Amino acid sequence: MKRFLETGNFAIAEGAILAGCRFFAGYPITPATELAESMSLRLPQVGGVYLQAEDECAAMHLCIGASLGGMKAMTATSGPGFILYADPYGWALGCEMPLVVLNSGRVGPVSGITGAPGQGEFYNTRYPTQVGNFESVVLAPNSAQEAMGMVVEAFYLSERLRMPVTVLADQLITDGWEDISIPETEAEMKEMGLRVWPRKYNPGPDFYPATDALDIPPVQMGKNTGGLCSDWTPTEQGYDIEEVEDHHKHAYRLIFKVRNNRQLFNHHYEKKYMDDDPDLVVVSYGTPSRVVNTAVGRARSQGMKVGSLRLINLWPFPEEHFTRKTKYLAVELNWDGQLVREIQRTVPKDSEVHFLGICGDLPTNQDLLETFDRILKDQPLQRKGWEWEAW
Amino acid sequence: MKDRIELVASGFGGQGVVRLGQILGEAGVKQGLRVTMLKSHGTEMRGGYVRSQVVLAKEVVDSPMCECPDYLVALSSAAYNRFKHTVPDNGLIIYDPDFVDQVDDTLPCAQQALPAKKLAMDNFGKPLFSNSVVLGAVAKLLEKEGAIKKEVLLESLLAIIPKFKEENKQAFELGYKSI
Repeated sequence: MKRFLETGNFAIAEGAILAGCRFFAGYPITPATELAESMSLRLPQVGGVYLQAEDECAAMHLCIGASLGGMKAMTATSGPGFILYADPYGWALGCEMPLVVLNSGRVGPVSGITGAPGQGEFYNTRYPTQVGNFESVVLAPNSAQEAMGMVVEAFYLSERLRMPVTVLADQLITDGWEDISIPETEAEMKEMGLRVWPRKYNPGPDFYPATDALDIPPVQMGKNTGGLCSDWTPTEQGYDIEEVEDHHKHAYRLIFKVRNNRQLFNHHYEKKYMDDDPDLVVVSYGTPSRVVNTAVGRARSQGMKVGSLRLINLWPFPEEHFTRKTKYLAVELNWDGQLVREIQRTVPKDSEVHFLGICGDLPTNQDLLETFDRILKDQPLQRKGWEWEAW
Repeated sequence: MKDRIELVASGFGGQGVVRLGQILGEAGVKQGLRVTMLKSHGTEMRGGYVRSQVVLAKEVVDSPMCECPDYLVALSSAAYNRFKHTVPDNGLIIYDPDFVDQVDDTLPCAQQALPAKKLAMDNFGKPLFSNSVVLGAVAKLLEKEGAIKKEVLLESLLAIIPKFKEENKQAFELGYKSI
């Protein structure tokens, strides 16, 4: 095991290589630029290819091409680049090409603030492309070390589900430095819970069967198998067609291969102080969850019956954690409230759902403890300027 | 050392605030500590606002935020004014008087001037080495805390900044002696 101080970007690059990624195309953007930089250094060392694209749209299309050629591929960006993935993301979903996308959140909208963290893409990662008729898989780590692990996991899921998988990080994860352990042997990878699924190819004749089954390998160019890669409707045998009935079968697969196989990823969450039915469940993901965990621990020592639920598997939304009628607080790095809406949709009737939004920086323990206290005492949340919002 | 030490360094882009945090973190890892080092900055490479938040801990770092920094290294007036109130009573602010012109005497914490830029100019004719002067001063403080040995920090400095080794070493020693 190698242990050193490095950025999350560096750790993610190492994770990708451990997972077998041998192609990276990207376009530089803070706070994901150093990931491209690390890949440009590391991929040639392991026989891989790094390509700087002319823009994000091209970058992800190049990744699809590499994946079609049988390589495990990855791209990385931040919010302003992620929206440019919309077109290729749809292609990758529709043609069922495995690849991994890293999105490191900064402060939006538009270019916003580059060097500060934000969580404005909760819904954007769920609906990364046009039209619908698909499910998305999104994983949200909260540290550089976990980001490395979640990238390995994203490759694993992308192969088994035959689709792009997004890792949603934030600026503090990718640009921040942490002490990181990188496994050097398969035994060490196993010890860290990292799993790898090899790339296989589909020999046909059923390239797009209307089934929710896992482990159907993707189409691969150059194998003389036939099989379609297009933006239209594929028949099961991989011909191009525009028929609603065929498209329904196709969409069925895009939706239910994910929904019916949630056991693959729905164990990715963290609960602290949740065993005694807390009066307030604090829900978060990404870097803010680290402050939430500290604050919840302190709240417990002050006698507040508070628990922390950290989501790692963000999409499909893990509704099973929200079956109990109680008070919920969403802590997010945005001012508009996104995760809170999904919690509100999911919780039992008459549950209380609150929101604490801060963007560009993490909430402090003091912010959190004051908020817990007020909610537990049924007091209205205090407005301290624009950063506090009673939902 | 205590369970957790927090250090905030802040100033302009180009002063080496991020590099300082990185060197400190690297030394922490070499000492077997758990480390986080968050950086935040504006879009500009130089001249904009920059902050590094370093946490050195015995166990895995939960919150990487420096809410009550044991040490604040202020390399601009803006940084000093923005973070001075976060430093607790038993904390210490180190500031460069070349950049921080108005010191707030009402603060409960200790404050010490470190003329890093002046020392760098007087000894090397360049402000470039003021960052190593600051690191030397920080080395003294962290050695006193029992967190990081002086030699380990110097070794990290020389490993991460491979140029001007002799000057950086001298600047580090100047900082170490000046506090």
